[in-house]
Amino acid sequence: MANQIDFNQSPSYRMHIDLNSCFATIEQQANPLLRGKPIAVAAYASPGGCILAPSIEAKTFGIKTGMRVFEGKKLYPKLIVLPPDPWKYRQVHLALRKILSAYTPNFHPKSIDEFALNLKGMPALKSMTMFDIANKIKKRIKNEIGEWLTVSVGIAPNRFLAKTAAGLHKPDGLDEINHKNFWQVYSTLSLPDLCGIASHNTIRLSSIGIYTVQDFYQASIRTLKIAFSSIAGYYWYLRLRGYEIDDMEFARRSYGNSYALPAGRQAFQTSKELAPILAKLTHKATTRLRAAGYKATGVHLARSYRDGSFWHEARTAEKILYDTRDFYKLAARLLLRSPSKPTRELAVSCFGIIKDSPLQLDLFSDEVKKASLVESIDKANTRWGHYTLTQARMIDTSTAVPDRIAFGGVKELEEFLQ
Amino acid sequence: MTTKLSVPVSVSLSFDHEHRKVVPKWVVWNKRLYPVTKLGLHHTYRQGRTLFHVFSVVSKSTFFRLILDTDNLHWKLEEIADGQPN
Repeated sequence: MANQIDFNQSPSYRMHIDLNSCFATIEQQANPLLRGKPIAVAAYASPGGCILAPSIEAKTFGIKTGMRVFEGKKLYPKLIVLPPDPWKYRQVHLALRKILSAYTPNFHPKSIDEFALNLKGMPALKSMTMFDIANKIKKRIKNEIGEWLTVSVGIAPNRFLAKTAAGLHKPDGLDEINHKNFWQVYSTLSLPDLCGIASHNTIRLSSIGIYTVQDFYQASIRTLKIAFSSIAGYYWYLRLRGYEIDDMEFARRSYGNSYALPAGRQAFQTSKELAPILAKLTHKATTRLRAAGYKATGVHLARSYRDGSFWHEARTAEKILYDTRDFYKLAARLLLRSPSKPTRELAVSCFGIIKDSPLQLDLFSDEVKKASLVESIDKANTRWGHYTLTQARMIDTSTAVPDRIAFGGVKELEEFLQ
Repeated sequence: MTTKLSVPVSVSLSFDHEHRKVVPKWVVWNKRLYPVTKLGLHHTYRQGRTLFHVFSVVSKSTFFRLILDTDNLHWKLEEIADGQPN
């Protein structure tokens, strides 16, 4: 095997921790009567609701994330379906952060249930091995957060392989991928097992004769650059050899909220039908934007239709925006430009965010008065709860746009750490 | 089967200073006393400035979701369940 010497020989200081079946396991922790039973946390308990997290027991019946509730119940008719309880999950996430911070300050939450740790140079490694630390973390999670919670831990010289190692044995796994065993581990994996290689990339790779992870490892930089038509090929070359290229965090660039509209009698086709939802989404996104100390320069609106089509458009404002009403005006104009068809999902976001920007005075309106009003409304909502003071057009939207945990990111958690 | 409620209940809460643990001991609901046999999870959330503590507990075969409003220290029972599908 010609390339073996290329694998990173340095010790494994990277650790990946993945809370198994996160939402469902936390629900089983909260309610011991659900333990050992197939359960699923779904966006809605109705038959069309999307399953967000099946429990470990539900997975054995073939129930998967993304299935509809009725599909899950076809596989296991006694499936217990629960609505999400975001505060429960946030609390467990924060408790996990507290435990991990005892071992290294260099840890990054990759999502609500995943953490990437770098233990290089940490005092904990003077008296313990990486495996000792992983076992101690597992034990502390059970003692300090909940005895039903299990995590899969992966150890490797880089983040990518640590995540791959965490996926080798689920639940409650503990594995290392290093220069001694990588070739054997690669022989047990298929290309889609690698995070970032979905069906599209599998096709790309197979088009140049790469069918297995071992083929992928042995491919030259030139071959991979051709396969990916970009620098991504070089990154994959390094990743598979245990070199770190993913150790970066991206700054927030926008604040947004989306809402999957319920299927039913109302088609959510016209701008009139969608305006109250748009107002609530804009209210939520802009309140979060201001709470973090930002203003923004533009609004982006996206609409997914029931026929599978998609429309989106962005508009930059002539001045810096901070007032929900101004954001809404811009978003409403975009909504009027969008095709009027039955809608499945509506998303609004504020981009071009600027921190601590001074107030730009206007010749024709009293900006100081407006800023003071916005600040007062935010204060009232902070004191008495979200949506205490809102625009009148949001009336009748009390059940729409519920509190949710974002998939694949934890930027929203910054707001709960303040 | 899960039933959502919003009713006032009596709860006895105990604090163990040695282990720094706070555990509900019993619940009185519908004139019946339910000894708490297990605490599943304790978490908190805020509604405006008010902090709420949520205790997910079990008494034999009944699950209770108990809420403590820290503004007035009153308890509410928000949910009961028997661990079976609806």
